[in-house]
Amino acid sequence: MREPFKIFYSIFQERSKLKEYRNEGKKIFGTMCNNVPEEIIHAFDAIPIRMFGNYGNTNLANSKIPSWTCNYARNVMEGGLRGDFSFVDGVVSATTDDTKIHLFSAYRFYMKPEFSYLVQFPYVRDEVSERFFAKELERFTKHLSSFLSAEFDEERLSTSIDTYNRYRDLCHEFERLRAHEKPKIRADEFIALMLASLSMLKEDFISMAEKLPEMLKEHDGFSDYKIRVHLSGTDFYNLTLLRLIEESGMVVVSDDLCTSAGYFTGNVRGKGFNALAQRYSGCTACVMTSGNTELSVEERLEFIRKKMKENRAEAIVLLKDRGCEVCGHQCPWIVREMDVPVLVLDLDFPLSIEQYRTRIEAFVEAHGGG
Amino acid sequence: MKKNWTPLGYKNLYRELFKKHLDRQNELLKNSRPVGWFFSFHPSELTYIFDVVPAFPEQYSAYCAARGSSVDLIDTSISSGYGHFLCDYFKTTIGMIETPEKATPPLMPKPDFIVSSRALCVAHHEMAEVFARYHRIPKYTVNYPYWTTDSLKNPDELTKEAEWADELYVEYTVESLKGLVDFLSGIAGEADEEKFKEVFRKSEKTSELLIKILNLMMSKPTPGSQREISDLVFIAFFVLGSDYALEFCENAYEIIKERVKKREGVSEEKHRLLTFGIVPWHSLQIYQYCESMGANFPVNLYVNASVHKADSSDPYLSMVRRSMHFTNSSYEMLDGVIKTAKKADINGALLLENTGCRITSMIIRPLAERLGEDLGVQSLILEAPQCDPRVMPMERAKTQIDAFLESIS
Repeated sequence: MREPFKIFYSIFQERSKLKEYRNEGKKIFGTMCNNVPEEIIHAFDAIPIRMFGNYGNTNLANSKIPSWTCNYARNVMEGGLRGDFSFVDGVVSATTDDTKIHLFSAYRFYMKPEFSYLVQFPYVRDEVSERFFAKELERFTKHLSSFLSAEFDEERLSTSIDTYNRYRDLCHEFERLRAHEKPKIRADEFIALMLASLSMLKEDFISMAEKLPEMLKEHDGFSDYKIRVHLSGTDFYNLTLLRLIEESGMVVVSDDLCTSAGYFTGNVRGKGFNALAQRYSGCTACVMTSGNTELSVEERLEFIRKKMKENRAEAIVLLKDRGCEVCGHQCPWIVREMDVPVLVLDLDFPLSIEQYRTRIEAFVEAHGGG
Repeated sequence: MKKNWTPLGYKNLYRELFKKHLDRQNELLKNSRPVGWFFSFHPSELTYIFDVVPAFPEQYSAYCAARGSSVDLIDTSISSGYGHFLCDYFKTTIGMIETPEKATPPLMPKPDFIVSSRALCVAHHEMAEVFARYHRIPKYTVNYPYWTTDSLKNPDELTKEAEWADELYVEYTVESLKGLVDFLSGIAGEADEEKFKEVFRKSEKTSELLIKILNLMMSKPTPGSQREISDLVFIAFFVLGSDYALEFCENAYEIIKERVKKREGVSEEKHRLLTFGIVPWHSLQIYQYCESMGANFPVNLYVNASVHKADSSDPYLSMVRRSMHFTNSSYEMLDGVIKTAKKADINGALLLENTGCRITSMIIRPLAERLGEDLGVQSLILEAPQCDPRVMPMERAKTQIDAFLESIS
């Protein structure tokens, strides 16, 4: 990993920015899903950050929730039980899947945060649901306002929306660096950036990272690959596996991960709760929301196709967390319906790197054209 | 074993109920009525109002588990690429769709439409999407909230009547249910207003009887066996609103009332255990095994979750109420469960962790902790997927149960 990215990764690992914010007396809210509308928290001058744990084993969590639940959930519980989220003033999740709902409940039950809120997501995209969802976001705002003893200000929400849109635009700039024949950014570097952006204020991220795309454009890029791949999955943040993938002759040019493109794709168009509701119920990468006559899996497939086309991916590496219900239900459709080779990696943590190496190398040999 | 085990004798009643249910299905199929697939906690009354043929992936999978075909069907699903740690009902149904020759007949009729909801889990919605895609059929989704302490106050554990529920959520769910009525009208023709009222009147009476039966189960000694009581979920989830459900409940109530009056128990009672978790349909003898040793189950929280007090004067609110069970509520709302456990005077709990079901499995430990802290009651947690007997070999389960009963004696 090159130097600037190391700095970003250390922000994620050491939570250094959060310490600064704490010292400034700001409130920090941990989110458990990429579909929590962070702009609302941000509008109160509070800090929304995504909760992550990165533990080799999750013994404490396994005593409270089943050991077969997804790696993300077990790690958040582990962090909570170890007291590593003591800097968090409140937690917010969304009803986007069963694990997220029950992780929220279990976290609340055991850790008893000062503030907690579960955003009720509609699973249907229609007029009634969008109206409801806008009201639900208003309800969330009222709860937050009461907890923080702070007045809600519509203008500030607009400013927050702008900041988040600028952040998303910047992420797309980074994404475009992957589209080059010789991609300008490594997969681990890209995810390191994303993880840092989830652990700090967006405006701070923008000011630290906005010059990077220009600098990276000057770079020759990486040509040491045999196949361009799209990464499909959910809450993924393991850099070791990403390095292994790229060391084995692949280059990651696009993704639909909840920690990456699934998070930043799609700007808020307009102002206020209605605009937020439209954006968040329209995130097609992983949300189970769709029109009543459509299916969310079709929207996800379309999302993947679009990303692959934009960045010319030739194959898919599907990171299938063994405990992830979204992957569990949707994975076969991605394998069956995408007209490209798909490598499915059943993920279990801690990772057995050597086993993955063999599978990845065999895939590259079969589809890498050389 | 049977000497110390005297069930209520609901078996014949169930046989009659299923026969009537299947006769109705066949009659409707003969008349080319549309087939819909539905999940637990759906508003079953509507299937009687619209005369559609309802089929239930969960009930069918339970049937396959009881008949021994679910293992092959689950394996088919996993070989097709679906996750191992998904709901057994989903995996079994996928197995039926992909390898019907391995499934126990009669198979579920092919659906013309599917109704998904989240009154229990997002998994219902996720699996409905997959089934809809296999069959290329329309799907309607009913949105229910996941209740938290800031949206629902003091729901009764059995009736689900609450002191207060946030209007925003209630109104949205009602809108969503009205949308379902429109959806069904589009598929099956307009509903008859009088029939609507009539079905809900039946549903109300049936639901009252179900609640009475479950209340009587808490008598001393425990009057019935969970081998019979756990089947009540079929009535509460799937056929509430039918003539035959009402008829069943009238008879079942009389039987249990008599039993209680005579102070007869299912066995010579030494322990009163609470149980929770989806029933392991492949190994129902687990209940009989416990009961024959004097460990009876006056409370099955899974069965309790399935019932609610239907209200014919406000059918839509009544349909929303179905979702106000503790498995669809945040874990601080276990107070109602503790109240029930206290009322039943339990001295232990057998909790079944259903592998792949996040709803029942993630709440198990908080439940065990609350039972321990509030009532000083110990729990035995067994890993027991509802359709896959390989994870819970009976002999191993028996050893664990023996040790547990010894420890609480």
